[in-house]
Amino acid sequence: MRERVAMAYQYRLEKVGKVFGRRQIALARIDFVVQRGEKVALIGPSGAGKTSLFRILNCTLRPSSGKLWINGDEIESLHGRRLREVRRKIGTIYQQHNLVPRLKVIHNVLSGRLGRWSAFRSLASLMRPLEVELAWSALKQVGIEEKIFTRTDELSGGQQQRVAIARVLVQDPEVILADEPVSSVDPSLAASIVNLLIDIGRDTHKTLLMNLHSVDLALAYFPRVIGIKNGVALFDLSPDKIDDRLLEDLYSGHLPPSDQEKVAHAESNALAYP
Amino acid sequence: MRSPTLSRIPKSEKSLFSYLFALLFAVAFVDGWRRAEVNPLVFFDAENRGNLWKFISGMFPPDLSSDFLSLMIRPALETIQISVMGTIIAIAIGFPLGILGTRTFSIGGILNEADIQGSPLRRTWRFSAYFAARGLLSLFRSIPEFVWAFMFVRAVGLGPFSGVLAIAVAYGGMLGKVYSEIFEAANERPLEALQSTGASKLQVFIYGWFPQVLPNFVSYTLYRWECAVRASAVLGLVGAGGLGQQIEISMRMFNFHEVLTLLGILFVMVAAVDYISAKVRAML
Repeated sequence: MRERVAMAYQYRLEKVGKVFGRRQIALARIDFVVQRGEKVALIGPSGAGKTSLFRILNCTLRPSSGKLWINGDEIESLHGRRLREVRRKIGTIYQQHNLVPRLKVIHNVLSGRLGRWSAFRSLASLMRPLEVELAWSALKQVGIEEKIFTRTDELSGGQQQRVAIARVLVQDPEVILADEPVSSVDPSLAASIVNLLIDIGRDTHKTLLMNLHSVDLALAYFPRVIGIKNGVALFDLSPDKIDDRLLEDLYSGHLPPSDQEKVAHAESNALAYP
Repeated sequence: MRSPTLSRIPKSEKSLFSYLFALLFAVAFVDGWRRAEVNPLVFFDAENRGNLWKFISGMFPPDLSSDFLSLMIRPALETIQISVMGTIIAIAIGFPLGILGTRTFSIGGILNEADIQGSPLRRTWRFSAYFAARGLLSLFRSIPEFVWAFMFVRAVGLGPFSGVLAIAVAYGGMLGKVYSEIFEAANERPLEALQSTGASKLQVFIYGWFPQVLPNFVSYTLYRWECAVRASAVLGLVGAGGLGQQIEISMRMFNFHEVLTLLGILFVMVAAVDYISAKVRAML
């Protein structure tokens, strides 16, 4: 019985914290539960720890403290093949697209299949693309199918973001994590990309978590909004219950700027984590 | 009167280190001059001058007889063949060791945290692979190819194969070291994204790492091939085949006019290889 209850959760976080190095606290203590198929937006000032949180949610980083369950699996015990198995079911869209610039669009899109392909198949596909139709239909869905054989670094920022979305479509995960997916695209495109992701999530019953810089987009499109500041969840409410006072609290500079910088620095430095 | 604004300009401080460095350089220069027996005056010594003159004048005219030239075709080709085979085997040695010796691939960085943390066994295994690869690479390249050739001539006998092996091992060490530096310079963000799709390390390497660094990889490998052509000439001096062996024979026979011809052939070959690799690099 307990098992079945656990299975309904996509994510369950208990006192999750993340410290870089010795004392750079990116996340202090995060608790929340996300049901399967739920759509959640995360907002908060830069340096609040949202990116670190997403890196924990897609199993790139491990929490320094607390517990995380994904689909009923406690991820602390996962390594190697089983860890990759969990990662395959989580698709991530990054702020800076994180595509391989020298590869053609089709290979960047098909890299969403790597979790299902053997190393040999992956190599073969680089020589002569496999599953071209799958890539084509994904690119068609994001509206740039004519770029399929273009080199990725020849595309504009907005087009690259669409390639990244197509990669997630091809990956066909249970969860889509979108980390500031619109902060590097034209504001006029931002709403359409958020819309696209929400449509994809609804049509295929995927769980969707999105970090958003824009409060307006978060409140307009999501039934649940979590406000994160200084590594803790300040509120976790439906948008109609979020008033100006809460938002003011969220973005008011409680932290002295130097500390805020330190946290932001820790987050960006997570790449160089020893 | 001291102006207050002027006094506020901070002085750029010379650190003690730069003085120390200058002093160290001066000592090294004077000491090196004395102990390495540097003495430009030897060129003006009558006997040396005569020897030098004999050597240089003996080179002219170079031996361009068709007999000699046709005899040298084989050794010249052999030099190219030694360098090609040596470089190919060197890549086969340096590539896998270079990958394992890449910090961000084996033990550090964003790509390893989740997999290593909480698993001492994995940690130990990764660290040993990393240090073993690094250790082998430095062993291979710390012994000069000339010395490797010397050993391989003893082991597998006179001839081009010892030259191939010498280049393969010494250059494998150099290639692997530089490959790992090239791999380490790759942007990790796309790699992180690939890994998060559930790709294995090897797949991340094939799709993200290698495409990113391909131009550097090819251009450094070609540069090493160029060096290998030159090196395979030197290796001949210890009996490892190719043009070098011919140079050594002609030197020993005091046939300096043949030596000049051989040096000319070597020059043309190196220039040709240089030209080819420049063309390939331009294509990337």
